[in-house]
This record gives sequence, structure tokens and C-alpha cells, in this order.
Amino acid sequence: MNAVISFTGLVKTYGGQNAVDDLSASVNQGRITGFLGPNGAGKSTALRCLVGLAAPSSGSAQILGVPYRELENPLSRVGTVLDSRGFHPALTGRQNLRVVAAAASIPDARVDEVLEMVELSEAANKKMKKYSLGMKQRLALAGAILGDPEILILDEPANGLDPAGIAWLRRFLRVLAEGGRTILVSSHQLAEMQHTVDDVLIINKGKLIAAGTKEQVMGPDSLEDAFLKLTGGSLS
Amino acid sequence: MSLLKSEWRKLVYVRAHWGLLVGAVVLAGFGTAVTPIILDSNSATFGLALDQQTAVDSVYANAISSYIFAIIIGIMLMSGEFRHGTAVATFLTAPKRGTVLANKLGIAAIGGALVMVLSTGAGIAAGWVTLSFFENVAEPSSGVFLNTMIAAVVSGSILGIVGVAIGTLIRNQMLAITGSLIYLFVVDPILLTLVPEAGKWLPSGLITAMLALDIQAPEFGIDTANYLPPLTATLVLLGYGVVFGVVAIATSLRRDID
Repeated sequence: MNAVISFTGLVKTYGGQNAVDDLSASVNQGRITGFLGPNGAGKSTALRCLVGLAAPSSGSAQILGVPYRELENPLSRVGTVLDSRGFHPALTGRQNLRVVAAAASIPDARVDEVLEMVELSEAANKKMKKYSLGMKQRLALAGAILGDPEILILDEPANGLDPAGIAWLRRFLRVLAEGGRTILVSSHQLAEMQHTVDDVLIINKGKLIAAGTKEQVMGPDSLEDAFLKLTGGSLS
Repeated sequence: MSLLKSEWRKLVYVRAHWGLLVGAVVLAGFGTAVTPIILDSNSATFGLALDQQTAVDSVYANAISSYIFAIIIGIMLMSGEFRHGTAVATFLTAPKRGTVLANKLGIAAIGGALVMVLSTGAGIAAGWVTLSFFENVAEPSSGVFLNTMIAAVVSGSILGIVGVAIGTLIRNQMLAITGSLIYLFVVDPILLTLVPEAGKWLPSGLITAMLALDIQAPEFGIDTANYLPPLTATLVLLGYGVVFGVVAIATSLRRDID
């Protein structure tokens, strides 16, 4: 299979501590890959290095064979959701997306299309500060698919969602994956991810501790059981 | 062009920026409108009366007083990115940070110039209306309106750029705005009065110098005889813009985005 995302010996150090410690892994094309681990494991830091928001202390992270910063018109290749911030609270959902669309030379009509896809059309003219957490997450997803990218990188997209929101997200990711997209989704909710992902990368204390298809990593157990075995029973 | 369009949308979509424009217009208009009244009632103290051309010129020169709003717009354009986390979306969409900053500096320059042109225009109009109520008012010098508008455009553009640079260096928006206010309204005037030789190189001394006024009132901290020639002052202020612009780009290239 063709690897479209790769981490090679990635190290990111903050204040003498390795938040990410010699991470080498790859993500295959057309698969949903869960980037799993407890809070503070280094998932978000690794993803920030991957999309060029943080500079690696050493090693590298590449998408489609190049660092993110070297991608031409990156929004058309990679859609990213890092957190539910990232949008201006005093602007409406539609205005926020139009700012992004303008920067990527995407027509405004596409903004309305993606708002409909994430079921936010009726709230499009509402200020973002009046959005619920679930609505903010959906707006972030709308921003990620604005350029109709072939790769999606989602950091804890289910955070703060209620059960209905999580079910909606699961369906939404499946629809996106059926279109042949590669999706790298990070989460600390191992049980939930078991229903969503094809492949798994498990990280703990900055280090990769397991990688493979979901079935290979889980064996006969659940993902959570497999994780507890791999980490010696500690979810920290 | 796409990044310019995106940055322009950030400027015009945020209502607070329109509030700043209104504030600038009101401050310049009010400040200029009351200047003739103050000069007329205290002509002995100031040594200036409205039948003197210098006094009328200084009334119109007051129209340029809203330049702090140009800096604040620049600060809000940049530090707002960090305050609201929109820097993430900005740099994910356009990861070449130098290009993003160059476009943001361009829009800040345009925004600062627009604020200054509109507020200065409002100030000149307000000054003209107030002066029309007085008798024996001198004619303004032939260059005062042109000099004031040129100074408004140049200072607005450069201070917008300086604002973006400050917002890049000091990511806390309130701290950046408060620090700029303290500098421009406290530190800069004090330096201009106490150390005129150094003060004439500082922003408010340079902006006043660009107006090409002839006012000798050292007891009030204004003695334009000590100021730089208008063209030199314009070039020095442009130098400030270049230095701050380079600092903004260099700083944004290195730091991680939270």
C-alpha cells in the first residue's frame, strides 16, 4: 500500500522534555487510521509538526512526500481540524469560511455547499460565539473539506460531542472515506475509535508502541484492552 | 491576490474595526472642532490668535491626531490571530508565513491609511465649520491641507505596519494595545519635550514634522524649528515601517503556532 503520510524519527522537545520521542510511522492511502493514545501522549504535537505549525526538534514529518509547507495550495490536498478554536468568534460561520476560501482561491459557492454537508446551513449567519461545541466541531470539519482534499487530518474531532454528535461524526467520516480519502484521526477515546478506524497507530509518552491494522493490534480483545496490555495497564 | 482578499475580509468583517474607524473620526473631529475655541479663549497663554496663519494651520494640523487607531488596527489584525486561534487556519491555508505576513502588512497599511484619511478629513471639515463661527480668522497656508493629508496617508500606512509588527512580537492583544497607548501618549511626548534632539526622531515628532508647521511653543513641548525637514521625517518614518515589517516577518517565520 502507498504511504501518503510519514513520520521519520520525529522528536519535539519542550523545556527539555520530549513531547514526541523518535516517532516513525506511516499512514496508508485510502484508509482511516486512528492515531490513538491518552491525553498528553504527544498526538496533537505530532500532528502540529506534520502540518507545519510546529517545527520538529529533529526528524521529519511529510505528507505526499514533502513537508506540508511545500505543498502547493495545501487546502486542496489536505484538510485539517486541530481544535474547535481557529475561527473568529465575532464572525458568522459563513464569514469565517469565506476568509479561508478567499485565501485558497476557493469560490464562495463552495462555502455554502460544505455548510450544507455538515448541516449548518441554517446557522450560517449566526456568530460563531453563539455556536455550541458540536456546531463548532462541524464548522471545523466544513473548513477541512472546503478544498475537497484527498487527505484529512483530524485531531480529537469527537471531543465534547454528545452521543448523537459522535454518531453523526462516525457516519460523516465513513461517507468521506468511501470517497477514497485518507483520514488520520487522533483520539483518546479508544472504544469509540474501534468502530471507526481501519488501521491504528498507538502512542504513549511520545513513543509509538503499536502500529498495524486494527485487527492486528487488537487481536481477540478490544482496542482499549490491547492498549492496556501494551502500556502495562496504565492509561497515563 | 487571494491572500490579500482573505486579509481584506478579515479587516472588513470584524465589527470592532469599524468601531475603531468611528472612534478615529469622532476623536479627530471633536479634537479639531474644539481647538479654535481653546486657542481663542487662551490666546495670551498660547501666544497664538486665530487672526494668525500659524494658529489656523495648527487647528487643521490637529486633524491628524487619531493615528493611534491605525496602530490599533494593525495590532488587532495580527494579535487577533493568536487571541482567537485563527492563526492556525491562516497558516494551514497558506503555510508560507512570510507571504501571509507580507499580505497582512499590506492590508494593515491600507486599513491604517483609510482610517487616517477619513478621520483627518472629518477633522479638517470640523475645524473649518468651527472656524466659520469666528471673525477675523486668518487664511490657512496654501500647503496645509495637502501636507496634512499626505502625512495622514503615510503615517496611517506605516503605523498600520508597525501595529502588525507589535502584534507579532506581543501576542497578548490587550498588552500590545495598552503598551502602544502608553508609549504614544506618555513616553513619546515626554521624550519629545525633555530630549528634543532624540524626540524628533520618534513617531509623534516625525508625524508633526511631516505637517511642515512653523510653531515655536517650547513651553508646550512644540518647537517645530527643532524638527526634521518634512521629507526627511517621511523617509525616517518609512524606515520605521521597513524595520518593523522585517521584524514581523522574521518573528513569524520562527515561532510555533499554538
